[in-house]
Amino acid sequence: MGLFRKVAVIGAGMTRFHNRIHSGKGGRDLFVEAVLEAVDSVDNGFDMREAEAIFVGNYSSDCFEGQGHTAALMADWLGLNPRPSIRIEDACASSGVAINMAALAIASGAYEVVIVGGFEKMTGKETEEATEILAMAADSLYEVPVGFTFPGLYAAMATAYFDRYGSTWEELAAISIKNHRNGALNEKAHFQSDIMETARRLGERHNMTFRDELDFLRSPLNPYVAYPLRLFDCCPISDGASALILASGDVARRYTDTPIYIHGLGQASDTFSLHTREELTELRATRVAASQAYKMAGVSPRDVDVADVHDCFTIAEVLATEDLGFFPKGQGGKAAVEGRTSIDGERPVNPDGGLKAKGHPVGATGAAMAYEMFKQLRGEAGRRQVEGAEVGLAHNVGASGATVTVQVFGR
Amino acid sequence: MEKPFTTDSYREFLESGKIMASRCRGCGELHLPPRPICSKCGGRSMEWVEIGGRGTLEAFTVIHVPPKRMKGRHPYATGIVRLEEGPRISGLIPDIKRGEDVRIGAAVEAFIVREEGGAKICFRLV
Repeated sequence: MGLFRKVAVIGAGMTRFHNRIHSGKGGRDLFVEAVLEAVDSVDNGFDMREAEAIFVGNYSSDCFEGQGHTAALMADWLGLNPRPSIRIEDACASSGVAINMAALAIASGAYEVVIVGGFEKMTGKETEEATEILAMAADSLYEVPVGFTFPGLYAAMATAYFDRYGSTWEELAAISIKNHRNGALNEKAHFQSDIMETARRLGERHNMTFRDELDFLRSPLNPYVAYPLRLFDCCPISDGASALILASGDVARRYTDTPIYIHGLGQASDTFSLHTREELTELRATRVAASQAYKMAGVSPRDVDVADVHDCFTIAEVLATEDLGFFPKGQGGKAAVEGRTSIDGERPVNPDGGLKAKGHPVGATGAAMAYEMFKQLRGEAGRRQVEGAEVGLAHNVGASGATVTVQVFGR
Repeated sequence: MEKPFTTDSYREFLESGKIMASRCRGCGELHLPPRPICSKCGGRSMEWVEIGGRGTLEAFTVIHVPPKRMKGRHPYATGIVRLEEGPRISGLIPDIKRGEDVRIGAAVEAFIVREEGGAKICFRLV
């Protein structure tokens, strides 16, 4: 499988992801903010009305905000009627899928330039209600009624993984420590302090002091959410939006001298319920989507200089770095412990802080990963820049792995 | 007349105390929960098979932050069990309150709890 013609990212924007600063805004406000930043980021200027279609990734504005039909709403609020606008809902992979669909629409020759992005306004609901809304992306007949939550499904994968590979929670903690360290370098991240700084701040409030990161992460200030996952193994609930301007390879250079091409893309599905999966310690859909994307791009996992992977929970990053082919099975956590996935390591993963520290407004996440690859591959990632990065990868997972998208980006 | 292979049939069986799977008449694959189309061979001819309920715990968690509907019942364990007949299923393990109190590979048996919102599969350690 290949693309009929080249597709490039010519602009990218995102709001900061956060749980409080957007409290007065709705989904439409967030999406408009991200799109305007993407439009303004185009090097040679871009009139938004040149966009021919809009692809919007959104999980559940219906439940979070009481607002459905949000594709048309966004087209209207961007002043882009009567252009077609399409909403894509694939749980947390909504905007990863939206990017693939937008790229295919351009590659087909239907459009030259489109806007694609995603948004989620989540904080209007209390945590328990948000947990319930997120759980709707799991099986509402066979998983949710027996008590599973999202953290619970990934926690179950963690117990199976620990048992199979003899690894421990300390390996997961290394992921959390790394991603918080990276988030501190990202002005768009929800959390911008590393674990020790957080430990000092929370410790002062509770009259406690901590020797090191693990001392804090083992403490009651890091309670279980779903054993063996604790609070700092879980991404936060955030509001936010992200957007890209995609153009065909034929016109991209009119807009910028440094387009970032989508050289490969892939998408796969797997059993909806976790219990029906062939294996509980891998995401098969990741392996399938990645192999499609690698093949289309003509690269191997070794060629990837920087990657954003779907770390909704720390165990998810362990599985992703293995299933994408960066490390052998059973070695993903150890790789993080050894610093191999740090910004200055051999295979930097989630330099923007990942979902863990950057935040996870679910519908916005896939396009926010592409935003990071756009910045990294153009050398515009500031303090979190991976030196000399030429090939980037974004990996976006829906729910417990029933939907996965992968894109390979390059200059 | 055989019950159709729908969620409703499965629920009715569960309410009457039976865990029922569908078996593909073509390739013999067992599906739990039952499904009308075989995900292994694509076959569309199924038959009902009763599942005994004994199995082995393959994955679990203890939920400390529950969804709204389970509020007040936490912490509770829930897990994925490999049944003796082959398929896996998810079930509540209400007696377990701490992750340290259970291990992967533990032998378990199913029991059905009928409550508002429908019958659900639960497991206890044996």
